[in-house]
Amino acid sequence: MTHEELEHAVPLYAAGALNRTERQTLEAHLLSGCASCHSALKDYQAVAASLPLGLSPIKPPRTLKAAIMAERNPTAIPASASAKEPLKPSLEPGEWMNHLFPPISPARSLPLPWAIGLVALLIVGVGGYFTWYADLQHTGDASKIQALETTLLERSAKINTLRRDIDSHTASLTELRKELEQRTHEAAEAKEQLALREAELEEIRVQLSQRNDPHVARTPQDELASLLRRPDIQAHPLVGSDLATGAAGTLLYDPLTHKIWLYAINLPESPIGTTYQLWSIDGKPVSIGTFPMNRGETTHLLIRKVLNFTATKSFAVSLEPIGGKLQPTGPMYLVSRS
Amino acid sequence: MDIPTQHQTSTITAALLARVTKGDQQAFSQLYDHSSTLLFTLAVRILWSHDDAAELLQQIYLDIWRKVTRYDIGRGAPISWLVSITHSRAIERLRTRAAQGQQIPTGPNGQALAKQLGDHGPSPYETRIEQERRLAISATVAELPHAQLQAIELAYYEGLTHIEIAERLHQSLETVNAEINRAMAQLRERLQPYLHQGDTHDT
Repeated sequence: MTHEELEHAVPLYAAGALNRTERQTLEAHLLSGCASCHSALKDYQAVAASLPLGLSPIKPPRTLKAAIMAERNPTAIPASASAKEPLKPSLEPGEWMNHLFPPISPARSLPLPWAIGLVALLIVGVGGYFTWYADLQHTGDASKIQALETTLLERSAKINTLRRDIDSHTASLTELRKELEQRTHEAAEAKEQLALREAELEEIRVQLSQRNDPHVARTPQDELASLLRRPDIQAHPLVGSDLATGAAGTLLYDPLTHKIWLYAINLPESPIGTTYQLWSIDGKPVSIGTFPMNRGETTHLLIRKVLNFTATKSFAVSLEPIGGKLQPTGPMYLVSRS
Repeated sequence: MDIPTQHQTSTITAALLARVTKGDQQAFSQLYDHSSTLLFTLAVRILWSHDDAAELLQQIYLDIWRKVTRYDIGRGAPISWLVSITHSRAIERLRTRAAQGQQIPTGPNGQALAKQLGDHGPSPYETRIEQERRLAISATVAELPHAQLQAIELAYYEGLTHIEIAERLHQSLETVNAEINRAMAQLRERLQPYLHQGDTHDT
């Protein structure tokens, strides 16, 4: 084709009136760098693109936008992913011319041998692609499986190690528990021993304090002896009656404790069924208490608590039936020295 | 808020398409709102089917969103790129129908086509400038001689080659070529103020 023929083909190209072979011829010419044809094509493409702007607008269905919004992915493919794609020139050869024209020319315009050749190439190309893709997928899957198996083995080894650690810790825990039980038992025994020792210590401490306390006598006799050394103690001597001339007694009154102490000596043994009874005689006799004199006894100490003792000046000891009497009924054996 | 579809094609910039490429859903929504009426009109004009046109637009917008189809600034104004994609795919679909033996819905005759192209009625969905542009283009196209208009219509909207047009109109190939060339030259001359709007519009 001459350049004049190519120039005349430019508007037809823009309007979409050329067949594939004619388009390819013109595209080859444009790619050769013809500036005038390129400029003309740019204008004619703009003319073609402006044709729909003159149509009366037809609104798309209201549901179309919703359908598009619903069908698209929630997010677009990240820019980084698209950046990994092979970089294409912004305008590939021939691509800029395809905007206005269908990429496929009418099949009937192709010669049969060309068509057969293209189909064969297409089959070979598609077959090759799928073979390559399947091989790539297989290789990729195999490597993924191998990686997963390696990961699985590593995880299994870690689990076994952890299991051994757990067993070891469980055994240690059992031993510690047994030792704790033994120590607890020993602590209980030690505590019991300690309690015993503390009891003994307390007893010793009491005994020691009793020995060290000058006001506390170990026995009533010792206490009586300590009373005799006190100046506030009131003493009333008693003498034996005709029935017991060798007997005697001392009656002490402690105003601090309001206790009466009767220390009798050489009284005869009280016969069975009888008992000695001490009386305070202030107008009429009042019983203070009873006491026996067993065989072989020569002394006896009677201690009783008596209130309002200060007014009493006279005392007596009589022999009465066992249990005592409200008033003296038997013979007197000790009487106050008047 | 659902923005009514409009011919606000001047708002479709390279920057807007770049935002769409980055997954900006608001930009994608704006792209649809401002271009879908024009593209749907073109698709209906070629396919003579609202359903097919809607299906085609759905594929185109999803391809843009999924970056199967990508805009390059060297391809002219963004709206010209969108029109080109819609046109080529609609023609491809039309030829697929023919290859499958399906009956190709034919549009009205040349007079009706001229009426369609020459509809000067106002649209409530256009901006004033865009309405002026539409009316100017419609008027320019309507002024074409019938033979020229018919040849352009058959090539651009029905995807016929000049050989097929000659067969359809029972004219010589030279006559058809001459009609198309004269029509394109007249449109190029008279539409010059509108041809490259948007080429350097966006930043």
